[in-house]
Amino acid sequence: MKTLIIILMSSVLVNNYVLSRFLGICPFLGVSKKLDQATGMGISVTAVMLLATAFTWPIQYFVLDKLGLGYLQTIIFILVIAALVQMLELFLKKVSPSLHKGLGVYLPLITTNCAVLGVAINNITDGYNFIEAMVSSLGCGLGFLLAMVLFSGMRSRIDESKVPAPFKGIAITLIAASFISLAFMGFSGIVDNLFA
Amino acid sequence: MKSSIKSIIVLVGICTVMTVLLALVNSITAPIIQENQNAAANAALLEVMPEGKNFEQVDISAYELPATVTQAHKEEGGGFVIQLTTTGYGSDFVIICGVRADGTISGAKCLSSTETLGKEKTYGENFTDKNAEQVAAVETISGATKTTQAYKNAVNDAINAAIILAGGSVDIRTEEEILADNLAAALPAGEGKFTKLFIVEVIEGIDAVYTADNGKGSVCVVGETFVGIDETGKALTDDTALAAKLEAQMQIITASEQTPVDLTAYEGIHKNIVSVSKTATGNYVLEVKGAGYGITGGDEYHPASGEYIFIRVSMTPQGKIIDTLTVSQKETDNIGSVCADEKFYGQFDGKTQADYDSVEGISGATLTTKGYKQAILRCFEAVAILEGGVANEE
Amino acid sequence: MKNNSNLGILLKGIIKENPVLVLILGTCPTLATTTNVVGAFGMGIAALTVLVCSNMLISLLRKIIPETVRIPCYIVIIAGFVTIVEMIVHAYFPALYDMLGVYLALITVNCIILGRAEMFAGKNSVGKSALDGLGMGIGFTLALVAMSTVREVLGNASFAGIPIPFMEPFKIEIMTKAPGGMLVYGLLIALVFVITRGKAPLKKSFSCAGCPSAGHCTASGACNTEVKEEQAQ
Repeated sequence: MKTLIIILMSSVLVNNYVLSRFLGICPFLGVSKKLDQATGMGISVTAVMLLATAFTWPIQYFVLDKLGLGYLQTIIFILVIAALVQMLELFLKKVSPSLHKGLGVYLPLITTNCAVLGVAINNITDGYNFIEAMVSSLGCGLGFLLAMVLFSGMRSRIDESKVPAPFKGIAITLIAASFISLAFMGFSGIVDNLFA
Repeated sequence: MKSSIKSIIVLVGICTVMTVLLALVNSITAPIIQENQNAAANAALLEVMPEGKNFEQVDISAYELPATVTQAHKEEGGGFVIQLTTTGYGSDFVIICGVRADGTISGAKCLSSTETLGKEKTYGENFTDKNAEQVAAVETISGATKTTQAYKNAVNDAINAAIILAGGSVDIRTEEEILADNLAAALPAGEGKFTKLFIVEVIEGIDAVYTADNGKGSVCVVGETFVGIDETGKALTDDTALAAKLEAQMQIITASEQTPVDLTAYEGIHKNIVSVSKTATGNYVLEVKGAGYGITGGDEYHPASGEYIFIRVSMTPQGKIIDTLTVSQKETDNIGSVCADEKFYGQFDGKTQADYDSVEGISGATLTTKGYKQAILRCFEAVAILEGGVANEE
Repeated sequence: MKNNSNLGILLKGIIKENPVLVLILGTCPTLATTTNVVGAFGMGIAALTVLVCSNMLISLLRKIIPETVRIPCYIVIIAGFVTIVEMIVHAYFPALYDMLGVYLALITVNCIILGRAEMFAGKNSVGKSALDGLGMGIGFTLALVAMSTVREVLGNASFAGIPIPFMEPFKIEIMTKAPGGMLVYGLLIALVFVITRGKAPLKKSFSCAGCPSAGHCTASGACNTEVKEEQAQ
């Protein structure tokens, strides 16, 4: 139980995928303009991460490792993720059109979100068991959501302020992101000490 | 419909082609990657065996190796790199040792150690290119005897392990185990539990006597020979001459009776002599206490440990020591406590006041040695008083 | 793509449409692997190789691949080349492999590569696609090296692992950490804007998650939904 809490907390706060590992930067910069967009993207990413891990972990251990096909990891994982995203979209469209309306628009973007593939691969390289891998995926998704929501608040302030011409757009956004990342650095070490 | 079938065929086709391509590249790179990883893992092994090639881990659970061996790698040329964990001055340390196919050491290195002295760091260099015999001759470092001795033993274990791993056989028993095995073989009735007998009579031709804890007899040690003596005093050997001799000697030992000596009747006997008794044959058995670590005089106990070393000595009336035994002590662990080791106190056997001081002291425990020797001296003095005219008769 | 001459195709990736500093693509590896020059250069070359190979193969197959399964086909091809590059780096440059870690595999989802496939290789001849991939790859590598130079010199007082002694007292360690990456990236983008003075098409919006196809794929591409959504709002 303790390890699970440590994995969860460290993937949410310390090793935040966006702010310290630079995974999923594109949607972080692209879809964080408004709070509702940021939340929608964050929830979608979390769901896909969990789903992706639930499929890729068994595939790695029961198919690829058994057959000695470890070198197919990247190809299989990205195909599985792409297929999952497609299916999730169709499923949502059928079952809950309202949810699809809210989240569906973000789903096609997630296929090429490196955070999802990153989670799937990292769970294998870190040697997590299935439960730990699921917890780690949940943590990474929540960390992504947290970063998105926090950053959307910052973005709305930036949009209202006067920015020097060269910094308009991406430049000032990146510098703002750098400050959030700086704040998250304060978490490093906290998890180990909290639960040690 | 037709277009979707075509789509599927194309997708599957591309997947197949890419997979084949990957398999192809993988078959080229996989051995190289494997080799790289081995090289990285073998960096430590190469340090103790620079000429080694293609190390392969050996499953050591399949062999009966010295208990210190934790890991072993076989090398192409028939050599082995053995990793051992041993205990030095109170803590574990890990040694990695390369043994060539010809039994010489290619290198020894201490991987991790919390040992205090730090001398073990370079001590391993002394073993390079030496064989088992030469290893035994490598001197321990004074001031780090315990640690360096453990190091030496580990290197020796590595040599033995390499022989066993190569298919040979070696006696890997410790001295205690060998003794126990010999005793059990000489007197099976003793059920493997023996205690060394404290000898108070002058006996000839017997180095030591062990009695069975269950009272079913004893074992005489004559040089390398172990002869069992059963409850009735009969020697269990085919050599009738030896049997007769041993039976006669054992008679003397078992028949021996002791009467306490009233020390108050004598003057000048040192206060550290606790008690003295005399056997029918006139030998003395003295209980004496010596001071351990901390007191320069050697007669007072050390305030910190609060304990004396209690020693039992048997002596002829002429002042020659028959047997010595450390009954109890509370000296510093692993240093002064060596005085409870038979290897130390056994040295006093056969000594007289003239030559007892030549006994080799305990390394790193000069004061314990001094106190011990002082106590032995008190015994010589006491026997002289008990025997000589200095006795004070009222 | 006003200039369709071969040289123009090659050069536009390096300067005018630099994928990192102008098109703002492939931000993840740009930030993650630029802590030192060696890693950044390795990453750049790895991406360049994948880019050229996948561009050529996709261009070669552009008439065979059906429109509907276009994206999955591209992904498989790209992932395949990424894995090949990964295996080669692992075998022949183990130190670089350890340095880049998971980011090597993540070239698969680097938007530059899928973007060029979608935008250029799917529509142009093999030769042009190869040139386009080469130009984009060089542009990507140069941007990564520039950024890593700033970060390594300021943050670690060294260049490509060689220490610069007089910088030692002025080390700003945060430069090699995550916040420093974002800060340097932001400042470099601003600098490029100042230098080009609007000549480069500055991207102000991140619609379509910075996907290269943003301008082109509104009608056909995979991520049009997002753009439509934004337009609707």
